[in-house]
Amino acid sequence: MKTKVKFKSVYKTFELHAKKSEKILNLFSMSKKKGKEFLALKDISFEIFEGETVGLVGLNGSGKSTVSNILAGVIQPSTGHVEINGETSLIAISAGLNGSLTGIENIELKCMMHGLTKEKIKEITPTIVEFADIGNYINQPVKDYSSGMKSRLGFAISVHTDPDILIIDEALSVGDSTFTQKCLNKMDEFKEQGKTIVFISHSAGQMKEFCDRVIWLHYGTVKETGSSTEVVENYQNFTKWFNKLSDADKRAHKQEMISTQVSEQVEKESKRNHRPIFNINFLKNIVVLTPVIVLGVLMLTSY
Amino acid sequence: MNMFKSIRQVIKEQIMHINLIYRMAAFENRGMYQIHYLGSLWQFLNPAIQVAIYWFVFGTIRGGAPVDGTPFFLWLIIGLIPWFFISPSIIQGSNSIYQKIGLVSKMNFPVSLLPTIRIVGNSFQFFIMLGILVIIDLFYGIKPSIYNIQFLYYLICLYAFLFSFSILSSTVSTLVRDYQVALQSLMRMLLYVSPILWNTSLITETFTTYGPLIENILKLNPLFYILEGFRDSILGRAWFFEDLLYTGYFWALTFALLYFGTKIHMRFRKNFMDYM
Repeated sequence: MKTKVKFKSVYKTFELHAKKSEKILNLFSMSKKKGKEFLALKDISFEIFEGETVGLVGLNGSGKSTVSNILAGVIQPSTGHVEINGETSLIAISAGLNGSLTGIENIELKCMMHGLTKEKIKEITPTIVEFADIGNYINQPVKDYSSGMKSRLGFAISVHTDPDILIIDEALSVGDSTFTQKCLNKMDEFKEQGKTIVFISHSAGQMKEFCDRVIWLHYGTVKETGSSTEVVENYQNFTKWFNKLSDADKRAHKQEMISTQVSEQVEKESKRNHRPIFNINFLKNIVVLTPVIVLGVLMLTSY
Repeated sequence: MNMFKSIRQVIKEQIMHINLIYRMAAFENRGMYQIHYLGSLWQFLNPAIQVAIYWFVFGTIRGGAPVDGTPFFLWLIIGLIPWFFISPSIIQGSNSIYQKIGLVSKMNFPVSLLPTIRIVGNSFQFFIMLGILVIIDLFYGIKPSIYNIQFLYYLICLYAFLFSFSILSSTVSTLVRDYQVALQSLMRMLLYVSPILWNTSLITETFTTYGPLIENILKLNPLFYILEGFRDSILGRAWFFEDLLYTGYFWALTFALLYFGTKIHMRFRKNFMDYM
């Protein structure tokens, strides 16, 4: 089987800055102090094969969306290696539609940005309109849509841009059950076509029914990988156990887990070994800047 | 050469997606005026109102006197019409990546097109206004001359500068939001220190000793080169190669902007979302 996605010890850290200015200093690596870091992903490794449907479960803040964003190329991992063979398409609730344009115009714009030709867009627009099924509202500006309508349109557009790897990030949870069924049918169709799907949802039923394998993310680490029924059941048992705890225990448990994710890194790794490259760069910059300065000075003195 | 890798990459992306740029620009323009009752009429009402007020105020200050033999109104609009294009292109172009990154990052879409789309989007209105400018020229009895060809050269200068500046500016603006606010103030200031509303050679008349130096400092502004160039070509005053030093300075500066702009753009483009 061909590997479609490969994560190899991927870390993603978010820097926690007290002040905005620290962020800037860090950007130009002028500050040695790095401040606190939050490890959203800690040493994540997994593989997804062609034609597989893989589910991601976990509590809020366990890193599901971070993984899906890395898959879609929205953000980059801090360290580690990510290999993606194919085009990914992320379907999230915030579908990124332009509020002042009508539904039809949004379809055209988004398809255009996905790199579809004019003819192809004309061809698939009726299919998208039919799939979204929002009636005459399709000719109204999107800002007048309800949240359900927005996600229906967003989902309809995304699935029709012919993605290779589909990432569905809780996009199905807003629609009503009739639309969810429609989406699930569409996903079945994708499965039959041998497409790879990464599915993020809180619905245990959908997970079991739909996924071949499930990855359980727990506070930034992979807790368990395996067949969907097994992992989902273990996850459900965990949530049941957690819900039974007293409020104080819950808080203590959360606090303990999150504290493992925050690291106090004082010294930044030395950049000194990059010194020679920096020097060549510096030289190039001087070469480009010199004519500007020389000609500028000549201009100032030429009167 | 390896040194110009980023420049080549960014320019290649523009050329490869030239159709997409044009279509998206047309699309955004359509969306922009859809919520107004007067629609795209505002694209011309707005500048007309501004021309009227500047003509009234600065014309009155001058006592209606012509500038070096050119009627003030004509002199004014040759500078103002490009300005109505330059100012929004720079401000919107700089803001474009910040504004659209959330939408665009989820797709396989080259971010470097975003500032260009705003420049092209503003060009539609600019070209119509240039048409109006030609009519006004003829109305004032300006005779076509060989110098008019030069207009094309300065248009190339204008687009080269806008592209180079906005690729740098849009990247900086995404990383440091304060920059966008500062840029808006700077643009307001530039309107008054560029040769748009008043003739800067007045400085040399007012301050005899330091006047020429002050005017030369103003000339360091690359927009000065372009705006005076437009007047040179329409009014047939001079050729661009008559001032090789200034031409050399303009292109060296534009190239430096392009070089640093594409370099930091490529350096940060994958991480834009982390700085939001």
